[in-house]
Amino acid sequence: MMSTKAFTLVSAVERELLMGDKERVNIECVECCSKNLYVGTSDGFIYHFLLEEKALPAGTATFTATKQLHKHLGFKKPVSELRAASALNRLLVLCDNSITLVNMLSLEPVPSGARIKGAVALALNENPVSGDPFCVEVCIISVKRRTIQVFMVYEDRVQIVREVSTPEQPLAVAVDGHFLCLALTTQYIILNYNTGASQDLFPYCSEEKHPIVKRIGRQEFLLAGPGGLGMFATVAGISQRAPVHWSENVIGAAICFPYVIALDQEFITVHSMLDQQQKQTLPFKEGHILQDFEGRVIVATSKGVYILVPLPLEKQIQDLLASRRVEEALVLAKGARRNIPKEKFQVMYRRILQQAGFIQFAQLQFLEAKELFRSGQLDVRELISLYPFLLPTCSSFTRSHPPLHEYADLNQLTQGDQEKMAKCKRFLMSYLNEVRSTEVANGYKEDIDTALLKLYAEADHDSLLDLLVTENSCLLTDSAAWLEKHKKYFALGLLYHYNNQDTAAVQLWVDIVNGDIQDSTRSDLYEYIVDFLTYSSDQALVWKYADWVLQKSEEIGVQVFTKRPSDEQENSFNPDDILHCLQNYPKALVKYLEHLVIDKRLQKEEYHTHLAVLYLDAVLQHKPSASDKGAEVTETQAKFRRLLQKSDLYRVRFLMEKVQGAGLPMESAILHGKLEEHGKALHILVHELRDFSGAQDYCLWRSEGRDPPYRQQLFHTLLTMYLSPGPSTPELTVAAVDLLNQHAREFDAAQVLQLLPGTWSVQLLCPFLAGAVRDSIHTRRTTQVALGLAKSENLIYKYDKMKLKGSSVRLSDKKLCQMCQNPFREPVFVRYPNGGLVHTHCAASRHTNPSAPSPGTRT
Amino acid sequence: MRKPDGKIVLLGDMNVGKTSLLQRYMERRFPDTVSTVGGAFYLKQWRSFNISIWDTAGREQFHGLGSMYCRGATAIILTYDVNYPQSLVELEDRFLSLTDTASTDCLFAIVGNKVDLSEEGTVESLEKEECGPRLAGGNCESPKVPKQVQLEDAVALYKKILKYKMLDEKDVPAAEQMCFETSAKTGHNVDLLFETLFDMVVPMILRQRAQGPPQTVDISSYKPPTRTKSGCCA
Repeated sequence: MMSTKAFTLVSAVERELLMGDKERVNIECVECCSKNLYVGTSDGFIYHFLLEEKALPAGTATFTATKQLHKHLGFKKPVSELRAASALNRLLVLCDNSITLVNMLSLEPVPSGARIKGAVALALNENPVSGDPFCVEVCIISVKRRTIQVFMVYEDRVQIVREVSTPEQPLAVAVDGHFLCLALTTQYIILNYNTGASQDLFPYCSEEKHPIVKRIGRQEFLLAGPGGLGMFATVAGISQRAPVHWSENVIGAAICFPYVIALDQEFITVHSMLDQQQKQTLPFKEGHILQDFEGRVIVATSKGVYILVPLPLEKQIQDLLASRRVEEALVLAKGARRNIPKEKFQVMYRRILQQAGFIQFAQLQFLEAKELFRSGQLDVRELISLYPFLLPTCSSFTRSHPPLHEYADLNQLTQGDQEKMAKCKRFLMSYLNEVRSTEVANGYKEDIDTALLKLYAEADHDSLLDLLVTENSCLLTDSAAWLEKHKKYFALGLLYHYNNQDTAAVQLWVDIVNGDIQDSTRSDLYEYIVDFLTYSSDQALVWKYADWVLQKSEEIGVQVFTKRPSDEQENSFNPDDILHCLQNYPKALVKYLEHLVIDKRLQKEEYHTHLAVLYLDAVLQHKPSASDKGAEVTETQAKFRRLLQKSDLYRVRFLMEKVQGAGLPMESAILHGKLEEHGKALHILVHELRDFSGAQDYCLWRSEGRDPPYRQQLFHTLLTMYLSPGPSTPELTVAAVDLLNQHAREFDAAQVLQLLPGTWSVQLLCPFLAGAVRDSIHTRRTTQVALGLAKSENLIYKYDKMKLKGSSVRLSDKKLCQMCQNPFREPVFVRYPNGGLVHTHCAASRHTNPSAPSPGTRT
Repeated sequence: MRKPDGKIVLLGDMNVGKTSLLQRYMERRFPDTVSTVGGAFYLKQWRSFNISIWDTAGREQFHGLGSMYCRGATAIILTYDVNYPQSLVELEDRFLSLTDTASTDCLFAIVGNKVDLSEEGTVESLEKEECGPRLAGGNCESPKVPKQVQLEDAVALYKKILKYKMLDEKDVPAAEQMCFETSAKTGHNVDLLFETLFDMVVPMILRQRAQGPPQTVDISSYKPPTRTKSGCCA
């Protein structure tokens, strides 16, 4: 078992000061009360010393005792016990079975002569029940067999308050409140002297060993148990701490938190109450007294008095940490919580946790280290600073002083072991990644993120990119240098971008694509750049690299113009500038014009014509020889046709000129159609191309949105063409029949019938004729209904007219024009159906002046 | 130091594996142990409760301490070695009387440890017949001697304890529930043992709290214990 240095043993009273050279005189008992040290001797003397403590820098202290007085009490017997009652300024002296009260300073017995007789041993109640500050409670083992007596001791009198008998002869006693803890002949018991109730603790053998009963705190005692055990027991008879393991023949025990100190013939042993481990052993021969007085532990041989000076807890903890005993250090620190002011404790404890964390870290116990760092609220930079070059050069961090660990850096810690180093780095990576978004990072986000970036870059870790594309605080100069060093150019570009240096970013990436620098992070870097430029709002940047991207690939490169986010359109690029730029990139130009014309529907003649011309050129290029005519319509040709049909903006005649003679009949037909030259168009379709369904579609296309007569006209034209005299072929006849049957409604049947050759069978045109006849009948019927309705309406008007004519109108001076309210001067007037009379000119003006009051309408 | 809310005590003859059982459960390992001196304890946080588990010394020398350790215990684990019949006998002869100081409604568990040292077949067939699948499980590694103590012997002891304590079988958990066969070496049934007990102890702690016992037992107002109707974990 490793040991701790918890105490140092220093001499307090040299034997010369005591009995000089009197060989046969021994120290019998000791008492210490603040600075007063009393020693009782075997020849009946009491010595009084003043103890002066002098602290030493190492955390220990030396003591010098100055003798004040010595006095003989007049007994021939040894002084067997001394107890100070400082509140009363009295010293209780047990000598010759009698307890005498003497003045603490003069050592004179009280004048009243008060004393307790018949005492074998005594114990002071440190948890008194009376509450009287001028009285101490003393408990004695009486000379009477199996009897304990309780006394109240005042300044100059004593008073017995209780006498209890015990089942066996008591050998040792301690007291707390009403509870006596007694060592009887065969067992330890707790006895409540107030109620008489007793509780067995455990048996022991008084013949074999000297019992120890020691009050260690409120309601708790320490007892010497079987097998050299130091047993803890509460007044309830329960053990709340595990026992400590002493040697078999312990003479005395004392407490100095958190330690239990025991004395035997050879050694002083120190055990921790926190983990029951033995912590220290001090050789000490012939000791026979070990007692603690208000935290001061005194040990004595028969000739000299010594003090066990505890090392400051912090020193002990540091010693433990120095020997890597983390668990023990933490237990000791935690145990000290109640002995140290809260604020001070927290600072200390936090530091210890951090130190412990570094110890675990150095042993690569990362899980434990992390937990300790976390609970110790470690400044992350302490950890980062262990790794060479990770902290930014501008970081203001300096390690805490005194240092939390002994390592200069990771190299020293791992002694150059690369595997260990890698493990440490992996740990730091995960740790920083965990804390960077927590409050631990507050204030040093730059340091953390920069360190993390460096680690990722060095380890070629995927998270490097994630770090850079999300919110981060990586410091530019430091990170840039590092990324460059590790050839992480793509990441460097991201860093530049994050720091609003897009130009630098793109230039880097371009260099990578061009092969000027090497970084294989992304195989699709070119596409990435295009995408980046597409979404960049920096026009200058886009212009700067437009040529480059287009040179690489026209189709993809043009996306920087065509795929721009739609919400950017305000103050966006001028299409003409772009067109100018694309002059040398025909494919890109087409794509862009398509974007303008088709996607953005820009209604500008130039674009439409330009696109049409480009299509035309492409089409012509594709079929230099008109050999496989009409075999397959290329994609471009389809696009060209679609544009010609859909767009109304291009210059038709201009294109017509170009198309003519180029062997593009379909395109010509469409252009003719655009010029309303349906005859020509249909002629091409029917006679040149023999595309009858195309001809039908043409009719439908051109009559779209027009009135029915126009449409009829168109279909008739087509029909006429089919039926026109000439080298008529069965094909055309069939086409004509199909046209009639499929589009019966588009024709005027009467006209058609005149056109049709008489040889055709009715059967052939059945669908057309049935439709036409049905249509005709329908028309007749609706017309008849309309006629009937009109007739009846006419009748109603006639009736009205007759009614009006039936009465006369008398015109007199009194009659006034309803419009102008003037009398009529002429016999001419206008009469409204409601009977109102007006001047003719008023009636006429009524129609021109809408504001005039309306006298009524005829209908 | 936090005051524990409940106490569980391991009792049993020396060398039956009390310390190993506890270390297996608390530290998930099976180290070589030396003979326990005096006693030791662990604090186990179970839900919101602190339960102290005391490991006692089996040696005769420390026998006298047993009563004190058991005082106020909420549960007692009587441990024997399935390969050493005398250890079961000792439980009745020496250790049962130590439990007189335990809480009046104290639970008893009887644990046969070191099943890894005995023949698998015996364990399995017996368990299949007697105890159902909960206690079944093969964990033995190599050919072993037949098991010396059968689970039914432990059940019989459990019933004796009830008689000794003058408890009605209806008021306490069934014997089958409270007799375990474990191996601290392999970990067999160890978690089951402790966690079954913890789950039984928690309602007892709550009941004790509800009755408002003082933090320290006041022996001055000692009354003969009145047995409360114990329906725990029925």
